[in-house]
Amino acid sequence: MKPDLKILSKEELDAIYTSALYLLRNVGVNIEDQETRKLLMGNGCDEGPNNIVYFPEWLVKDCLNSTPKEVTICGRDPKKDMTLGRQKYPYVIPHVLNVNYYDAINQDYVTTTRENVQNFVKVCDYLDTVDGIWIVTMLPQFKEMYMFHGFEMGIRSTTKPVCITTLETQSVEPTYELATAIAGGKEELKKRPLMTVCMCAVSPLSWTKQACDTLKALARWGIQPALATEAPMGDTGPVTFAGDIAQKMAEYLSGDVILQLLNKGMAVLWINVHESFDQRTGMVNLASHGDFVQACAMGQIEKHIGVPILSPVSPDSHMLDMQEAYELGFTLLPQMLGGNRAIVVHGLDTTRAFNNELLLLLDDMVVATRRLLDGIDVNPETLAIDVIKNVCSKIEKGRRVGHFLDQRHTLTWYEREQRPRKDFVFEKHSREKWMELGGKTFVQRAHERVEEILKTHKPEPLSKEIEAKIVEIRRKYKIGE
Amino acid sequence: MRVGKTVAREQMSSSFEAIKDAVAKYDEDLVKKLVREAIDQGVDPLKILNEALTPAIREIGDRFGRSEIFLTELLIAANACMAGVEIAKKRLLEEKRNTSKPKGIIVLGTVQGDVHNIGKDILKTLLETSGYQVFDLGIDVPADEFVKKAVLEKADFVGSSALLTTTRPEQKVIEKKLRDAGIRNRVHTIIGGGATDQDWAREIGADYYAADAVEGVQVIRKAMEKHV
Repeated sequence: MKPDLKILSKEELDAIYTSALYLLRNVGVNIEDQETRKLLMGNGCDEGPNNIVYFPEWLVKDCLNSTPKEVTICGRDPKKDMTLGRQKYPYVIPHVLNVNYYDAINQDYVTTTRENVQNFVKVCDYLDTVDGIWIVTMLPQFKEMYMFHGFEMGIRSTTKPVCITTLETQSVEPTYELATAIAGGKEELKKRPLMTVCMCAVSPLSWTKQACDTLKALARWGIQPALATEAPMGDTGPVTFAGDIAQKMAEYLSGDVILQLLNKGMAVLWINVHESFDQRTGMVNLASHGDFVQACAMGQIEKHIGVPILSPVSPDSHMLDMQEAYELGFTLLPQMLGGNRAIVVHGLDTTRAFNNELLLLLDDMVVATRRLLDGIDVNPETLAIDVIKNVCSKIEKGRRVGHFLDQRHTLTWYEREQRPRKDFVFEKHSREKWMELGGKTFVQRAHERVEEILKTHKPEPLSKEIEAKIVEIRRKYKIGE
Repeated sequence: MRVGKTVAREQMSSSFEAIKDAVAKYDEDLVKKLVREAIDQGVDPLKILNEALTPAIREIGDRFGRSEIFLTELLIAANACMAGVEIAKKRLLEEKRNTSKPKGIIVLGTVQGDVHNIGKDILKTLLETSGYQVFDLGIDVPADEFVKKAVLEKADFVGSSALLTTTRPEQKVIEKKLRDAGIRNRVHTIIGGGATDQDWAREIGADYYAADAVEGVQVIRKAMEKHV
């Protein structure tokens, strides 16, 4: 049987959904943009004082019904597209966020360079356990048009899907032009969404003018949006799990209504960020006890409302240490076992830094968790009675001397059952042999492996036409290098 | 009658590649079939041994050394290889030709009081497929038996395995008895097993220590080449 970790009953999920609808109808959403408010009023919403809009239940349900339940996020290589809702394992999408790269060898934070980002994406391109990449970075060298730069750096180093986050509405258009060129035209881009763009609601229950402008731009261009809801428990969201999830659900549903009214039938992903507010330090945490609990609930919530949720795994640790491994493992495991369809993995320092060596730790955790998700097969072949009989029949000096190492059954099943590694990033030799090999730490071994990958792995380059298009877009929109 | 010379070089080369490929795919039945076919087509069985089967298993051993394959794959490939070796050797005997002289004669066993045999069995398989003649004394072998067999077969190497700290002193006894028998100067000794290490080899006066079977073959190969 396959493991299926559940933390909410059907009645509890219904209660959360009903509460979200209640919040939209009775508490309403603060919407700064007048044009968006007008759109909502014209479609059955009521307006209160202070730009508050109240959403009728029937409208929310109608819009949710017209939102696709299955969403594809495309890469340059169609074979690497992610179709959320149809996959065997949860998709794993590492995230480059903000300005710091963690140098694990010198245990130092360095200002991110273009090379850091491209190397990170290159390692992601190499690893089988990584399905896509998410880039939002404000590299100091760029000054503006961050989304365009992020997308361009991403597609240059991987053929897997590259998702991006918009920080400025004006960068939507040049990025859209680039995605269109790669797809081969506007119609092709609609069929194969190469561009998935994240934008955030503001908690509690608010959409800023800039966010509304971006929603309108995405709907107009037909660009696939991913709506992020971030309400740290005890800060801008209730401290209780049920209330926090209900509030974030209401925030997502309000964004979905706006988008469906602008472009009916467009896919709208939900990025459900689980965060808690640490009352000792005044910091928002993404990998505290409460976050592990919410991580576990993501799969059930997305199945209940029927839209794919991307949910983050974000260790708070500031370095690659035991805390980092603990936080990564304790968020990733319940989230994957809970059935969440896509997981966005940040590096360290509560999303503020990324690191290449960490990808190899993640790689093994994903392999292990996928194996766990496959469960235990019990059938005549896996029970191995004939093999046990055969091995036990080998007797020497009155003792059983057979073993399973030379059995074809072992050859057939070893990799399928055990999913072993073929490298030694994870050290499994005897201590003596490990010492003989230099007695290196995990970080040192991972660093060597990363260096090897960077030296040998060559992502498929962009075509000459796309390179020329990038030059043209840069010139047209006055985007620097 | 030897008809090997009549087989075109290209045909022979393609046949050898197919045998190597079958070993690499762990396909014992295919190895047997291809070796039989090659012999039927007039290929010299000695060439099959030296130019197909031996390089095939060496490549498999190297791949294991590079962590590209697992121990089970190594062993099953070795077994597939060995099945081909048996057919080629049988044909040589039928032709009343000597099989090629073994690269060395090795006496192997697990020491008295110890019944662990997996590492020793792997070493045996790898040595045989690499062209060595191996006399496997099995498990729980008294020191005297190692010495007796080494004298009888004019062994180049005596290899003993001990997995327990309580049984490893037997390896010291073997060293002493080989000296007492007056053959220690013409036989090399190699020790292995979980309870042993380089320091222990030095302490008891063994010539070599190997951490695992693959290293054991490498150590023996190097020592024999030096010796020759």
